[in-house]
Amino acid sequence: MDLSRVHKELRECNKDVEVSGIHIALKSDSLTHLVGTIPGPLGTPYEGGTFKIDIILTDGYPFEPPKMKFVTKVWHPNISSQSGAICLDILKDQWSPALTLKTALLSIQALLSAPEPGDPQDAVVAQQYLKEYPTFVSTARYWTEAFAKESSLGVAEKVQRLVEMGFPEDLVRSALEAAGGDENLALEKLCTA
Amino acid sequence: MSKQRTLCKFFVHGACLKGDHCEFSHDWKDPQNNVCTFYQKGICAYGSRCRYEHVKASRTPSSSSSSSANPPEFLLSEPILSAPSSGAPSVLEGHVPSTTADLSFSSRSSANEPAWGKIVGLDVESQDISIGQKRSLNPADQPICSFAAAGHCPRGEMCPHIHGDLCPTCGKHCLHPFRPQEREDHYQSCVRRQNHLEALKCSQEIECSVCLERVLSKPTAAERKFGILSECDHPFCIGCIRNWRSSSPASGMDMNSALRSCPICRKLSYFVIPSVIWYSSKEEKQEIVESYKTKLRSIDCKHFDFGNGSCPFGTSCFYKHAYRDGRLEEVTLRHLGAEDGQTVIAKNIRLSDFLSNLQIR
Repeated sequence: MDLSRVHKELRECNKDVEVSGIHIALKSDSLTHLVGTIPGPLGTPYEGGTFKIDIILTDGYPFEPPKMKFVTKVWHPNISSQSGAICLDILKDQWSPALTLKTALLSIQALLSAPEPGDPQDAVVAQQYLKEYPTFVSTARYWTEAFAKESSLGVAEKVQRLVEMGFPEDLVRSALEAAGGDENLALEKLCTA
Repeated sequence: MSKQRTLCKFFVHGACLKGDHCEFSHDWKDPQNNVCTFYQKGICAYGSRCRYEHVKASRTPSSSSSSSANPPEFLLSEPILSAPSSGAPSVLEGHVPSTTADLSFSSRSSANEPAWGKIVGLDVESQDISIGQKRSLNPADQPICSFAAAGHCPRGEMCPHIHGDLCPTCGKHCLHPFRPQEREDHYQSCVRRQNHLEALKCSQEIECSVCLERVLSKPTAAERKFGILSECDHPFCIGCIRNWRSSSPASGMDMNSALRSCPICRKLSYFVIPSVIWYSSKEEKQEIVESYKTKLRSIDCKHFDFGNGSCPFGTSCFYKHAYRDGRLEEVTLRHLGAEDGQTVIAKNIRLSDFLSNLQIR
């Protein structure tokens, strides 16, 4: 893998984070596992949310596409509501080495504002999008509120609840962060840890 | 006039660092100047063990160094050589010899003149021979001062050698005043080199879109090359673009549409041209492509193997398809009319195609 290119990409991407809102951070010490953050596009049910995307770079990068999936739960026809898997051509057969992590994240952001129900990843969501659009919008907005927003009050409440269950506070905070604010997922992590 | 030059001493020993720019000849046919310079000055420390000849020579550049003079001093030896056949028209008659030194000099060395003539005379053109011994010392035979040619001659005006004219391109005194062909050659190669440097400077900043590094700042020389795509103008380093085009389509990518296309504009290109410089115009690109193809055309195709093998690229192959006797392959395409009215080109069928599948029981 081209480590110097990854270094360069991270530097470039995090330089204009104020403009793009896109941020990439290291998940571990190695450069192979990263976390990208994208803001929900304005004028969509995802507006106001912050979405985390798990990025795994293979040895073939940049000649192979990075493996990306949503960590934050999203209600979207092309994103699995269960696993977070993303159905996007540039992450599969249309990948090009001239694309970067940042441009890939930008494409995902564009996918959020322009769903492709004809080529769905999550059939249930796609059906809803096509048949009951208003329900889709309200569900997507609700999911954004519930999982993609880290209002300080919400986090404090979640931490409070989990601490009351008998887990140490620092562990709770890191588990919540890893789960993208999903209280149940964090609880699951805490129990298995 | 014969443009005879003296064989380079360093070249003879296989160690001339100046290469093509040496003012001495690198052609084995040219005569060697094997005369000991120290002997000319009176004493050679090696005595009889000296590897150079201990003869009194009149024509060596070093002999003129014994008489201190200014650059056009090569004219000095002119009356020496024309002396034996006095009265005959000399080629250099127009030149005025400096009168101070030449009298004593000529009287001393005229006796030895045939020794030189014997060495030099071997390769002289017939018209020179017809002039006979009078074949005067041509200023074109004199090498120019190598110090001046390299940039600066410490002896300056006092230098006994010819100082070359200033080359306007490289700014060195390396144009031989009496060798028009060599001047022209140097001038052209100098301009070519200058253009190359210019282009190299412009290419310095260009980044490869795959590794995001400046192509010409890569660590090893082999990596410092561009890979030019035939159909579009996006710059990549040769390593990156070749890597991409040859990466295994295991990830479900389509070989032709994804891998053969430009990573940026996705335009399909069928071949990549390696180049040290990046081009700034269509014509320059065309030139790079053409010179690359010409180079490949001079190399024998290893698939064709002088007619023993078969090349999968057929007539589109960039390499040379020639038989052992130098005959080029002649291709006659068989056109077949298909049912739907289209014309297809029939592939060559070889007996070996059938034999390799044959199983002998």
